[in-house]
Amino acid sequence: MAENTPNQASAGAQTTGHVWDGDLQEYNNPLPMWWIWGLYVTIAFALIYWVIYPSWPIGKGFLPGLNTLTYTNSEGQEETWHWNTRAKLMREMQDSLAAQKPYYDKLMAMPYAAIVKDPELSSFVISAGKTAFADNCAACHQSGGGGKLGFFPNLTDDDWLYGGTFDKIHETISRGRHGYMPPFAEALSAEQIDALAHYVLSLSGFNMDAAKAAKGNALFHSHTAACFYCHGDDARGRQDIGSANLADKVWLWADVPGAGDDAGRLAAVRQVIRGGLNRGVMPAWEGRLKPEQIKLLTIYVHELGGGR
Amino acid sequence: MSTSVAAASEQYDYDIIKKFSVMAIVWAVVGMSVGVYIASELAWPFLNFDSPYISFGRFRPVHTSAVIFGFGGSALFATSYYVVQRTCQARLWAPGLATFTFWGWQAIIVLAAVSYVLGYSQGREYAEMEWPIDILIELVWVSYLAVFVGTIMQRKQPHIYVANWFYLGFILATALLHTFNNIAVPVDLFSMKSYSLFSGTQDAMTQWWYGHNSVGFFLTAAFLGMMYYFVPKHAGRPVYSYRLSIVHFWALCFMYMWVGTHHLHWTALPDWASTLGATFSIMLLLPSWGGMINGIMTLSGAWDKLRTDPIMRFMIVALSFYGMSTFEGPLMSLKDVNALSHYTDWTVGHVHSGALGWVAMISFGSLYHMVPRLWKTEMYSIRLINAHFWLATIGVLLYITAMWISGITQGLMWRAFDDFGNLQYSFIESVEAMHPFYAMRAIGGMFFLTGMCLMAINVYVTIRRGVRAATVDRVVVAAA
Repeated sequence: MAENTPNQASAGAQTTGHVWDGDLQEYNNPLPMWWIWGLYVTIAFALIYWVIYPSWPIGKGFLPGLNTLTYTNSEGQEETWHWNTRAKLMREMQDSLAAQKPYYDKLMAMPYAAIVKDPELSSFVISAGKTAFADNCAACHQSGGGGKLGFFPNLTDDDWLYGGTFDKIHETISRGRHGYMPPFAEALSAEQIDALAHYVLSLSGFNMDAAKAAKGNALFHSHTAACFYCHGDDARGRQDIGSANLADKVWLWADVPGAGDDAGRLAAVRQVIRGGLNRGVMPAWEGRLKPEQIKLLTIYVHELGGGR
Repeated sequence: MSTSVAAASEQYDYDIIKKFSVMAIVWAVVGMSVGVYIASELAWPFLNFDSPYISFGRFRPVHTSAVIFGFGGSALFATSYYVVQRTCQARLWAPGLATFTFWGWQAIIVLAAVSYVLGYSQGREYAEMEWPIDILIELVWVSYLAVFVGTIMQRKQPHIYVANWFYLGFILATALLHTFNNIAVPVDLFSMKSYSLFSGTQDAMTQWWYGHNSVGFFLTAAFLGMMYYFVPKHAGRPVYSYRLSIVHFWALCFMYMWVGTHHLHWTALPDWASTLGATFSIMLLLPSWGGMINGIMTLSGAWDKLRTDPIMRFMIVALSFYGMSTFEGPLMSLKDVNALSHYTDWTVGHVHSGALGWVAMISFGSLYHMVPRLWKTEMYSIRLINAHFWLATIGVLLYITAMWISGITQGLMWRAFDDFGNLQYSFIESVEAMHPFYAMRAIGGMFFLTGMCLMAINVYVTIRRGVRAATVDRVVVAAA
């Protein structure tokens, strides 16, 4: 480059003549031409940008720029504005809502059974449901819907506390649920609780002490412990009140799968009987989600694996 | 030679510079260690250990304050006191006040770190310190300004060297920024909590006017001042162009003040303010590059030094990273690019290409030049400096590459739509996608930190040797 020739020349050529700290000097080279032109180009760029977009504030307003945006407002009237972030958002939301409207219209008009048989609509449900689920449900039920033992039910199996039909799932999402089991620590003795734990585990196929399990069986169906009030004579639970099925191998509250031996399993079940449960709370989504979103999520959850 | 060095140590006040130099290195090790730790927390969250005190949210400002104000600030105090004395041929004005700036500044960093860990924060990025610490900063800063200007006024040189313009610009602008961004009303006299005087969009604008000018004046103009002394001094070459230094100095100062709003694109910020932030950022490109050109062109005719001198290599690589990140910055400030880059790791990578590549590397070069001269000795090991150089360079490259990939991936995933016009990914999927790059970033940080530890060892041994030699000298003189 021509500009750096003086710098390569012998020291002292074209310096400003000042010297600091013994040997600090400065050449007085001209500004590199490419630098000056570069600066002019960026200034020209800025000038053009100012003409296109809102820029300088003047008085109580500002230069609006030549660029415009048109969108339809909530009253259905077309509005044209100078380019602005809000109008751009309105336009983009409106465009995407318009693209999705036919699908949602169909979704609301058709019965569940027909929707799941319609391949295109099913694809739409998977597409829209995935993000709706991730944004609203996954915080508790986990991404994928696998739930969390001790806290939130698994939605991918076919075991349902409140029922796994479309209508029941819709009801669960819309109105929420509140599962409750009273604590028995004061009503029952430690021995009785232990017997009940033996019985409950034997229902799930574990080989427990037969005498204790038989004692538990009697207590379960007695009016002293009264477990059968909620869990039913067959211990299979009642979906109308959300009581758990104790006769299958699915566990939500007691960490039986995580316990290594009988002692651990018994301790886990005893803990639930002693302390009861009051954390099976699911919030109601009616009002927070739009009806079409709730219907969408109903089908999505139903199709996660275990819908009936 | 030895006589002139001996004369210089009497002529100038080096004690304060030594103190600040040592603390710059201490804070660098501390701040970068915390940085590596929080980077690891993001990659392996169990490292939070469910403790509020060491959680990412509290440790992050500890990291930023320790590296920017602890390391960067101490390096600037040290080099500015060194440069202003030597180029003005005058001792520091009011040395007592200068000593106050040292103890005050160190107290600020310690108090800030402790208060963050305990959960006190103004919630303003790079200005998280609560009001009592802000007042101490104000006092220290005004003292710094007085010492610096006082020394310039006592100069025995008719002209003020270019490095001093940059340092003075930085000190003045920082005073202004700190004061206006921290106007707040304390809850009561004995409470650490305060509320900003501004609210809503005005509050955000004030914060980012401060935030970006901290980058512009604290992390750019000041370190350009450092560059303007140490690069020509170390290369033994005159500065390439006096004219360019004047033009780009004023252009830089003028343009920077406008660009803060580019941090607030696509928010409640008025669109006109957003436009001005973007366009002034574009116009800032060449003024920024003026410093890079002046630094790199100063070396022309002495390029062979790059082969033999790792200190020179630090300085030139620093200038290259400076050029790269001041090109990337204006690009990211455009509304449409920002729509992709904002809130992603791209921003984090951009900051670190400037902070590690430019700020830290030019400081390393300058400290390696200055430390042996302060203690009148040679650096203990040039090979260690060389190892530091390569560790630092590999570290920065790993870091910014990881953040580019991670940031652009995030940005693209967040805006990806499927055929039905639904968002293709949930937020958690983008978090999962970032994981390998978070690990890579932490490893890059470890490289950089390892190099920093080598520097600490190298400087420690150098200082010890310098102190021993001086003691021997004194004994000899006393015996004679």
